[in-house]
Amino acid sequence: MDALVKSNFIGKEEHAGVEKRSWLFTRPTAKTGIVSWLTTVDHKRVGLLYGISSLFFFLVGGFEAILIRLQLAVPNNTLLTAQQYNEMFTMHGTTMIFLAVMPLSAAFFNYIMPLQIGARDVAFPRLNGFAFWVFLVGAIILNVGWFVKSGAPDVGWFGYAPLTSTAYSSQFAGDMSTDLWVMGLQVLGVSSIIGSLNFIVTIINLRAPGMTMMRLPVFTWMTLFTAFLIILSFPAITIALVELMMDRSFGTSFFEVSGGGLPILWQHLFWVFGHPEVYILILPAMGIISEILPTFSRKPLFGYPIVVFSGAAIGFLGFGVWSHHMFTTGMGTVATAAFAVATMAIAVPTGVKIFNWIGTLWGGHLMMRTPMMFALGFVWLFMFGGFSGIMHSAAPADAQQQDSYFVVAHFHYVLIGGSIFALLAGIHYWFPLIFGRTVSEFWGKLSFWVIFVGFNVTFFPMHFLGLNGMPRRTFTYDGNMGWNNANMWATVGALILAVGICIYFAVMVYTYFKGQKSSRDPWDGRTLEWSIPNPPPEYNFAVTPTVHARDAFWYEKNNKEEIAREKAAKAKIDEAHGGVHMPSQSWFPIITASGILIGGLFFTNHIMLGAIAGGVVVFFGAWMWALEGPGGYHVHPNESDDDSSQGHGPKH
Amino acid sequence: MSSSASFRHSIRRGLSALFAASIPLYTGGWIGGHQSTFDAKGPVAASQLDLFYVTLWVTGIIFVLVAAVLAYATLKFKARNEADEHAEPPPQGHGNPLVELGLIGASVVALVFIAVPTLEAIWYTYDVPDDRRDQTYEVTAVGYQWWFKFEYPNEQIDGAGPLVTANELVIPAGRPVRVNLRTIDVIHSFWVPKLAGKVDMIPNRGNHLWLQADEPGYFWGQCAEFCGQSHAVMRFRVIALNEADFAAWTANQKKDARAVETTASADAAPRAQFAGFRVNEAGWSPEFDANPLDNWVQKQFPEKSENPALIAEGRRLFVEKACAGCHNIRGHEGVGITGPDLTHMGSRTTIAAGLLENTTRNLYRWISEPHHVKPGNKMWVGGYTDRETGNRILELTSEDVSALVAYLESLK
Repeated sequence: MDALVKSNFIGKEEHAGVEKRSWLFTRPTAKTGIVSWLTTVDHKRVGLLYGISSLFFFLVGGFEAILIRLQLAVPNNTLLTAQQYNEMFTMHGTTMIFLAVMPLSAAFFNYIMPLQIGARDVAFPRLNGFAFWVFLVGAIILNVGWFVKSGAPDVGWFGYAPLTSTAYSSQFAGDMSTDLWVMGLQVLGVSSIIGSLNFIVTIINLRAPGMTMMRLPVFTWMTLFTAFLIILSFPAITIALVELMMDRSFGTSFFEVSGGGLPILWQHLFWVFGHPEVYILILPAMGIISEILPTFSRKPLFGYPIVVFSGAAIGFLGFGVWSHHMFTTGMGTVATAAFAVATMAIAVPTGVKIFNWIGTLWGGHLMMRTPMMFALGFVWLFMFGGFSGIMHSAAPADAQQQDSYFVVAHFHYVLIGGSIFALLAGIHYWFPLIFGRTVSEFWGKLSFWVIFVGFNVTFFPMHFLGLNGMPRRTFTYDGNMGWNNANMWATVGALILAVGICIYFAVMVYTYFKGQKSSRDPWDGRTLEWSIPNPPPEYNFAVTPTVHARDAFWYEKNNKEEIAREKAAKAKIDEAHGGVHMPSQSWFPIITASGILIGGLFFTNHIMLGAIAGGVVVFFGAWMWALEGPGGYHVHPNESDDDSSQGHGPKH
Repeated sequence: MSSSASFRHSIRRGLSALFAASIPLYTGGWIGGHQSTFDAKGPVAASQLDLFYVTLWVTGIIFVLVAAVLAYATLKFKARNEADEHAEPPPQGHGNPLVELGLIGASVVALVFIAVPTLEAIWYTYDVPDDRRDQTYEVTAVGYQWWFKFEYPNEQIDGAGPLVTANELVIPAGRPVRVNLRTIDVIHSFWVPKLAGKVDMIPNRGNHLWLQADEPGYFWGQCAEFCGQSHAVMRFRVIALNEADFAAWTANQKKDARAVETTASADAAPRAQFAGFRVNEAGWSPEFDANPLDNWVQKQFPEKSENPALIAEGRRLFVEKACAGCHNIRGHEGVGITGPDLTHMGSRTTIAAGLLENTTRNLYRWISEPHHVKPGNKMWVGGYTDRETGNRILELTSEDVSALVAYLESLK
């Protein structure tokens, strides 16, 4: 974590603030140590916080998955009780989606996106810190159930009404686990929406001169689409969760059957969110792949505009296919037909991306580094998951596949084979930039192959399990159903996959401490994040870059004189403004978020006085936040000494 | 030396075990289970399977084409040596709109091949075709946590409404059967893979599906929507009979519960005693699975070695121990509707919602420790124990259980 701190380029304020302020509003200035992290507003540090916490939850969710697979290794197993198993798959799904993949994507958005567009930070730095702390609060609320009597949430990550109503989820015991789930997801939604608004404003407003929209790196485009998907889809689940909270806490009847409520309403609201959510998980991955394949093929992305617009088309169509999660709810023929055809339509822009990635490889010089291996693994596995997705769109065939292990196989192919492979590729790809060290190719590739093999051994048999009639979310099965063999394979595969993940992270930790120092721009990158020293200085760009072409840094490397002239002129202008303007750190994001934690936990325990107290803390934090003002200070970077020691171009 | 040899030996044994374990993959063993969707036994499942094969062919052909190009591109353009790695960058081409448009067009055409049969099948599988509506037999399935109730609106019983059974749906073969789907608590889903894909049972909503078993047979089904703690063990069976057998079955089911004449005191009666049940123990037997329909037929007839005295004691206990408060036994003392109707329970092949084969040992186990068979079930929570405190409120001695077992087994 302190790699940033080791950077030579931490901005120091030249002189203390001119204005005398009361202690309450004195801005923290620590650049190292715990305070620096608690009060940080630096998008790179926030990105690292997101990254570390999401990887932690990735391992937690993975551990839950291993327990699930061990329980199902043999028929009639008793490793877990029914109750524990239900908690396990509920929390595995919720954790992997909301606490692992989404925040890991957010980590990359935070860290990489501002660098790719040549920005000094995101548009609202304090809000950015706040989004992370709120995320952490939501994660704590979701997981606190493991440590209390009522247990972790056990209603499934989809929480179908009326199983979530007090009549059924608290049927046999005083149970607040569902309340924790409802509260945790609402808080996470707040975090996601705040973060997304920040990214949208940043991408629209803070692009470097010359960075027109059609020159944006594809990863930044996908950040933009994902952010829009989040702000448009999360309100739907928030409404559903608030209604459920009202049902559970205040006796309303939105979903309460005895009061005339409609459980099917929950499903529509949930999947209007839930299907865009699928693209929220996969679009960032597609963005990462669209960065890695060109870099390691050493040529531009094939059909950039079509890749961008197909991303938009996926995002747009993604709002019109939610009911394909509900083909078995008896929607009637016309609705089923409409959603089936719309779902098939979404396969076109998705397929287009695959074609363009292959087109990018075609005629390139493919450098088979570890990130490239993960990226190619992504293309293979995502293609496979895409095909089983098309099978689901044939609604009558889906009637046999829905809620069976075939679906489990399908979405793990797109979420592990897709999202996770891309995120693991991204970690490898940007590791030298973020930490200034290069991961060993041998160990990286070994982890890739173990993960690749383990993944397929785990999930390929599940296609057969599903078509052979094994339903999901079942804690046990009988030995006479023909499922023993494939289940045993899946469990063996899961253990191999776990070994692969362990290798992967062990290598990362080793590299962080002992890895070989990386040269600047080790992959011969094409986008602006590779133009700065590694680890990146706090102020990102000593001189705001001017963009002349789509692969901005590639252009810079091929037009060095022009760029040098421009930079010298720009540097003078910047200095005339007083140097690089930096945002001040602040205590109030974390204080405000802590109010949400206090309020949330009290509310789930139905102690309304405590909940109000939490609300007061939130209000106090937000008020003080407003009163302390934006702050800010200037730094004067001088990189010339360091620059000369690091050449450009690939060094291996 | 010897340790490395034994290590190699165990590796070899492990590898050959894995090889042996993978044999079913090549021989079709992975798709031949009791709930295999590949083994369609009626027109609805067959239509769904045909559509699956269409999707499999279309995506399979696309996969072969795309994968071949991807593999070729990867192998052909990969850097092989130092010189490749430091070669000048390749031409910086940005794409080819004609290729793009052509591929988009081809994708759309491929999808049409899937879309047309999909639309056809959506209408076909939704409801019984018009020309067969007059042959349709109608039943109602109701989901409960965690069992199924089946009602036969065509089979009315004087003074008792429609015929009601539980967990084993008996239908006429060769005729369309329209199943009305209802639930009284949470969402369940009715799935008999060999006969039809699933349709959900949703509170405050009337759903239906149709299915047909072409030949008489015995089919496995299971709840397919997560419905709480014991969702995994909420199963059922469908038994399809030819017209004559079906008529005989309904005629017998419509009768009141069978009464056995008492001749002697139960004190000296031989009682079934079992112990040593494991939690989540398997409740099936290969003997039954070998010929399930014949075994179902056998179940319709009374056991030869019945003990009338023991049965009478069981009947008394059924009331005394408050079983009758939740379970109905038509013609006997039971009145409850919370739990499954037990009027002809002895004629069913399974108990505990299709989970356990209906044997004396399994019935004994189910009655003596229901919470180990089906966690959270209402017989245990609220019946044997207090719902609020969890304290045991109903005690059964092993004598009680064996009498109850004898009674229930006599209900043919």
